[in-house]
Amino acid sequence: MATIATLSITSNDLLPSSPLSINATSTLMKADTSVDLHMMESGAGELTVAASNGGVVLKEATTAGINTAAKVYLSNKATDPTYYIQIKLHDIIVGRLYAGDWMFMPWSQGDVVAEISIEAEGGTCPYEYAIFKEGETMVART
Amino acid sequence: MATINANISVTSTIPESGFSLNKTMTMTKAGNTTGIENTNGLSVKKLSATTAVVLELAADATASGANKLYIRNTGSNKAEHVKISFNASASTDTTDEAIGRLYGGDWMLIPWEADGTTHNIVAAPSTADEVTTIEYMTFHE
Repeated sequence: MATIATLSITSNDLLPSSPLSINATSTLMKADTSVDLHMMESGAGELTVAASNGGVVLKEATTAGINTAAKVYLSNKATDPTYYIQIKLHDIIVGRLYAGDWMFMPWSQGDVVAEISIEAEGGTCPYEYAIFKEGETMVART
Repeated sequence: MATINANISVTSTIPESGFSLNKTMTMTKAGNTTGIENTNGLSVKKLSATTAVVLELAADATASGANKLYIRNTGSNKAEHVKISFNASASTDTTDEAIGRLYGGDWMLIPWEADGTTHNIVAAPSTADEVTTIEYMTFHE
């Protein structure tokens, strides 16, 4: 059940002295082990400004997820450069994903209120996401 | 202005049918199509204690911009990690602004709020038994 994440960052004109080329590859494994992550979920949607006012939860943190090696991919698929998605870990603003931007973030869930929330600003932002994880406390039926 | 491209590729066999994604972004300033042109450069830090250290100061970047943060744990030990947090200082690393853990070989590329009062980038290795080497770079307005 291997999951491999590869990154490439390049620029020919950021650094005056030489081109920039960063390459990184990681096989995603459970915390403190060499055992592959074995759970994932992915999805896509459209985030409107009004509906996400104040932020909506992309994924709740749970007890089983605390101190794990989860990774989160999120992409803002909007095309207007003034539209962005604000990312939060509970009350902490991580940053803004402007149109066309993506992120790949470790998410160790220091506690059960370390949820990931997203909020559209400027206009409707289509988005897609994937979460690779090793544990989650399931919600009991009502 | 500079042109900076970042590509991610993920392949997974967690679902039986497989999963893959491939996405490229060009890093631009907030609200327009002008390329980001500032960086503190590609840096490497070797840490031999579990003491938290500040990697980058938020004051170097523009708060609430389209800043990006890249960090990689260059080691191969999947039993040890470096915890990455946003904090006002290394001494406040025990507060709850942790982002996540980078185990050996793990990398991250995230947007960076760079609020000068709370968003310095702090790293804390899980072990002092071996040197933890971190490679990092910010791209900012």
